Parts: sequence; C-alpha cells; structure tokens
Amino acid sequence: MFRSLRKPETQSVSININGQMVQVAEGSSLWAAMALHGETQTRLALVSGQQRSAYCAMGVCFECLVEVNGVPNQQACLTTVEEGMHVCSQDLTEQSIAALHQKESADHE
Amino acid sequence: MSDIFDIVIIGAGPAGMSAALEAAQQGASVAVLDRKATPGGQIYRDVTQSPLLDPSVLGSEYTEGAELVEAFMEADIDRHQNADVWHIGETGEVLYSQDNQTRRLVARELIISPGAMERPFPIEGWHLPGVMTAGSAQVMLKSDGMVKDGAIFAGTGPLLYLIVAQYLRLGVTVNAVVDTTPAGGVVRAMQYIGGALRKPAYLIKGLMLLNEIHRAGVPIFRHASNLSVLGESKSVGLQFEQDGRTHSVNADHIFLHQGVIPNLNMTRALGIEHHWAEQQLCWTPTLDDWGQSSIPHIAVVGDAAGIQGAEAARHAGRLAALKAMNKLGKLSEASLQQQSSDHLRAMKSFKAFRSFLDAYYAPTPEHRIPAASNTLACRCEEQTMGQLRAGFEQGAKDPNALKALTRCGMGPCQGRQCGHTVSELLAVWQNKPVSDIGYYRLRSPQRLLSVDELSQFQNIKPAKKPAEVSA
Ligand SMILES: Cc1cc2nc3c(=O)[nH]c(=O)nc-3n(C[C@H](O)[C@H](O)[C@H](O)COP(=O)(O)OP(=O)(O)OC[C@H]3O[C@@H](n4cnc5c(N)ncnc54)[C@H](O)[C@@H]3O)c2cc1C
Ligand code: FES
Repeated sequence: MFRSLRKPETQSVSININGQMVQVAEGSSLWAAMALHGETQTRLALVSGQQRSAYCAMGVCFECLVEVNGVPNQQACLTTVEEGMHVCSQDLTEQSIAALHQKESADHE
Repeated sequence: MSDIFDIVIIGAGPAGMSAALEAAQQGASVAVLDRKATPGGQIYRDVTQSPLLDPSVLGSEYTEGAELVEAFMEADIDRHQNADVWHIGETGEVLYSQDNQTRRLVARELIISPGAMERPFPIEGWHLPGVMTAGSAQVMLKSDGMVKDGAIFAGTGPLLYLIVAQYLRLGVTVNAVVDTTPAGGVVRAMQYIGGALRKPAYLIKGLMLLNEIHRAGVPIFRHASNLSVLGESKSVGLQFEQDGRTHSVNADHIFLHQGVIPNLNMTRALGIEHHWAEQQLCWTPTLDDWGQSSIPHIAVVGDAAGIQGAEAARHAGRLAALKAMNKLGKLSEASLQQQSSDHLRAMKSFKAFRSFLDAYYAPTPEHRIPAASNTLACRCEEQTMGQLRAGFEQGAKDPNALKALTRCGMGPCQGRQCGHTVSELLAVWQNKPVSDIGYYRLRSPQRLLSVDELSQFQNIKPAKKPAEVSA
C-alpha cells in the first residue's frame, strides 16, 4: 500500500471512488487519492484488456486515464480532487469502443 | 484586459519563471501558462506549500527554489495555472484548456519551457501495474506526501539516488537499489573531468547521496544488466544479471529511471528544427545560445532545449527573455550583449559539467533498444519489438511508415513513450545514424480533448477573442 506523510492539519474533501465515498486531503491529485485507498487500477490496456496503473505521475504516459464525473480519458495524475467528485477506473478497450459505435449506429437506423 | 502579450511563456519551472521575471523587469507585458496547479516545475514542485511537515529533508536544492517561486508570484506577470497548452499557431496564438474550456492568448514572442520527461525504460514487464518511474516517486512525495515502502529502485542517474536518499531520510523502507551504471562509466567520463571539476559541489553531492544510501544498509547491486520485471498481471519482482549471475529480488513495486530527455511534443508539433544529440542520446531542438529556434518568434529554454539541469535553466530563461526584448525593439543590441555575457558564461560551464554526467550515467543500449521480441515498445497500442520488426520487414523504414503499419505511437501518449525507442530501433536495423531516421510527425492537439473542446478547436478562427471562444 502507498501511505501518506501529509501533515495532520490538512483539510479534507469527500469524493466517490469506484462507488465508495472516501475522505481525501484537499488539494490532492486524484491519482494519490485513489492510490491511498488501494484503488490503483486506472484504465485497461486498449488491445489486451489487461489492467493498467499510473506510470509517470506527471502527465506523459496516459496510463492513469479514468472516468471523472462521467467523462472518460481524464489523467488522474494531473487532476486535483474536488468535493463531490465521482471517479471510476475506466474499462474502455478497442473492442468495447467498437461495440459502442456499432450500437450507436444501430440505434440511429 | 487585452489577450495580446509581448511575451508568452509556456511552463513555470525554473526556466519559464526566470524568463518571466527577466521580461517583467525589462518592462514587457508577460503571460505564463502552466499546466500544474502551482508554479515550480519539476524540481521546485509545491516548494511553497509542501504537504510535508519538514520539506528540508528533500534537500537544499529543493527548498532554495522557494525564493524563485515567491519572486515569480510577486512580479507583474499574468500567471495562469491549470492551463494546459495544446496548440500553438504559426502567428503566435496559443490555445489552452482550463476548467474544461478552451482559452486563447496571442504572443508577439513565445518562450517555450515545458521541461523534461524521464527516458522510457522499455524492458520486459515495464507496463505492469506496480512499475512506475523514480521521478513519479518524487512527484508523489513532493505534491502529495505519498510514499511506497519496500520498493526496488532500478536504473541509473543522479535523480535515482536523490529520491532513494529522500525516502530513507523520511523513514521509508527501500528493498534494493539495482544500479545499471556500467562499469566503464568512470573511464568514459574521465575525459570530461575538467568540466566536472568546474562544479565540484555537484560532484560531491552525487557521491554523498550514494554514500548515504550505502550507510542506510540498503542492498545496492552495481553494474546490473538485462533487467526484466517479473509478474503476469502485476509486478512481483525484478530479475537482472550481475557478474554473469542471474538475480531476482521480490517487490510489488519497482521504480525505474535512466535519466531525462526533453519533453518533445510541443516543439515537434510546432515544426521546429530538431537534431539527434549523440551525447545525450535524444532528440533536441536546434537552437542558438539564446534559445532561438528555427521559427523567428519562438525560443525554447530549460530542459526542453536539451538536458542541462535547473541552475542552467534559470540562466537560459533569462537569456531568452533578453533576446525577446531585443527582437521586440525594447533592448538595444549593445545592452543585449552586455546583459547576456554572465549568463552565457554560466551556461558554458554547466554544459561542460553535463558532458561528464552524460558520459558517466549513459543509459545502456539493452535498456533503450531491447532485443527480446515480446517486450512492449509502444505501451498504448501494445506493440512489441517483434511486431515492430515485422512491420520493418514489410517495408516500414521510418517512424511514420512504421506508425501507419503497426499503430505504434498512435495511442493517447502520442509517441512520448515509444518515439525514442522507435528512432533508435530503426537506426540499428538499417545500420544508419539515428539522425537519418527522424521522428514521428506530430500535430495539435497535444493532448486528449473532450468532444466539446475539439469542436471548439475546429471552430476557432485566429482573430476570435477568448470570450467568444469559450461561449
Ligand atoms: C519527474 C521529474 C523530477 C525531477 N526532479 C528533479 C530534482 O529533484 N532535482 C533536479 O535537479 N532535477 C530534477 N528533474 C530534472 C528537471 O528537468 C530540471 O531540474 C528542471 O526542473 C528543469 O526546469 P525546466 O524549467 O526546464 O522544466 P520543468 O521544471 O520541468 O518545468 C516545466 C513546466 O512546464 C509545464 N508544462 C509542460 N507541458 C505543458 C503544457 N503543454 N502546457 C502548460 N504547461 C506545461 C510543466 O507542468 C512544468 O511545470 C526532474 C525531472 C523530472 C521529469
Ligand atoms: S501517470 Fe502518466 S500520465 Fe498520469
């Protein structure tokens, strides 16, 4: 597990990570908030569907893509937590995206 | 307030902040855009609002940055944080995302300082959960006070030892340091010892870090080679060779590092001229001593202009600001020369020192240009070395052809994690210099945009005001 050495007087905010409400330090990065609660899975690998997790923590690998308030492909390491934020590990893969497109075009017909 | 500035600076690290301070002192209107929540860049990340009780454990090179950040905060500069720049137009318009909206500024002169990123470390299993970079350990520590006990730190370079020492000072346990600096490093570096001796303090600091790690009783495996991460769906350990023997050390977390390279995507997308810097084994924008690029109104400074470190970045920032003032007609040629001379001299001695570091900590070919056919080169599209080789044999001889054929470099990271590997692989396979191979052709936007933002981008006409754009 990751652990926090943050000084005690920090204010906290509540956010929802994968369906669970948790308290996290105000100003945390979303990735740190997730990792400190054991939620280290971010996205799935696009082709194989294998689980992935953050790699660089500074915005250059795009492994930390998650869904924030319903919007996919947000970089957790560059996002700052906000009160009431909803975050989910995302399960988009090439296959699921293709299925989604197929469904959309079928719905249009 | 107008959205047109004399000088717009991208990136608020030591390079960008120094450029902004110089430009403001010289009387220019200055805007600085930075994607992080607070200024400071990588080295001075959150230095004025550290989450740690005692940030001095991170070292004086860190805490000394507070002065620069404070001066930057007090100066007459238009500062924009959380501002992620993703397009720069030819006439000086800069588009960036802030609060999920596209905003726009126009620059007469642009100074680009987006810093460095860690060199990719393409070994078997580097994509597994539990494998991160040593820089990420530092980012998490500086920004969030977050640490991981019992990890392995593997690779080479001063930043690797720095984070291990920082961990140990904070009582965080470290399982092992697996050092890939090759045995010949000292010999290779000796020819540049003159440069190193011009900066003895830095040299001593590096040695002291290693000594500190050693004294703490952390096992250090020197001259390790052939690294691979063990594990199927997540990391469970690291395997490597040392003195002809195979070792493996268990750990659910591994931090890799083999130096840093310029953050290329912005300068590449702009079409600035680049060259392959053999000494640093990376693509680098081609610039003059003031950071002036091949595009008349654009300068590039700091580690994005070639790795020189934070101190040099400060001088480079000031030089680019002085030159921009001169181009704007606000500083005479004579004043430019006179005010530049100390900075130029300082840059020269940092360059000499860097030659020593580059030779000493040169990342080994096996960890840059892997041979194993099942190692991933492109993490996003999951393309292995073997698949790239097959693409090459089907006729894809340059990075763009290989990208079209295999999709490597097409994923969300836009080639940041595979670009250098691909250039070097293609060079080796054709027995040509890397400079003949080139790099991916890149375009804006330089990040993933929401559909909303993308449609705004497509509607943007250069003459529009920010208010209309964000409407
Ligand atoms: C993870 C990491 C940790 C490091 N730690 C140290 C250290 O402890 N000590 C040390 O001596 N060196 C360290 N370095 C080396 C470092 O590159 C230099 O020391 C120094 O920070 C370089 O200064 P700079 O101003 O060129 O760039 P940086 O300090 O990297 O600053 C660049 C800034 O540009 C911003 N930026 C990038 N792209 C965009 C964009 N598209 N839009 C808006 N803003 C953008 C970044 O957020 C950043 O704030 C580190 C490097 C990395 C990658
Ligand atoms: S962890 Fe690499 S982009 Fe967020």
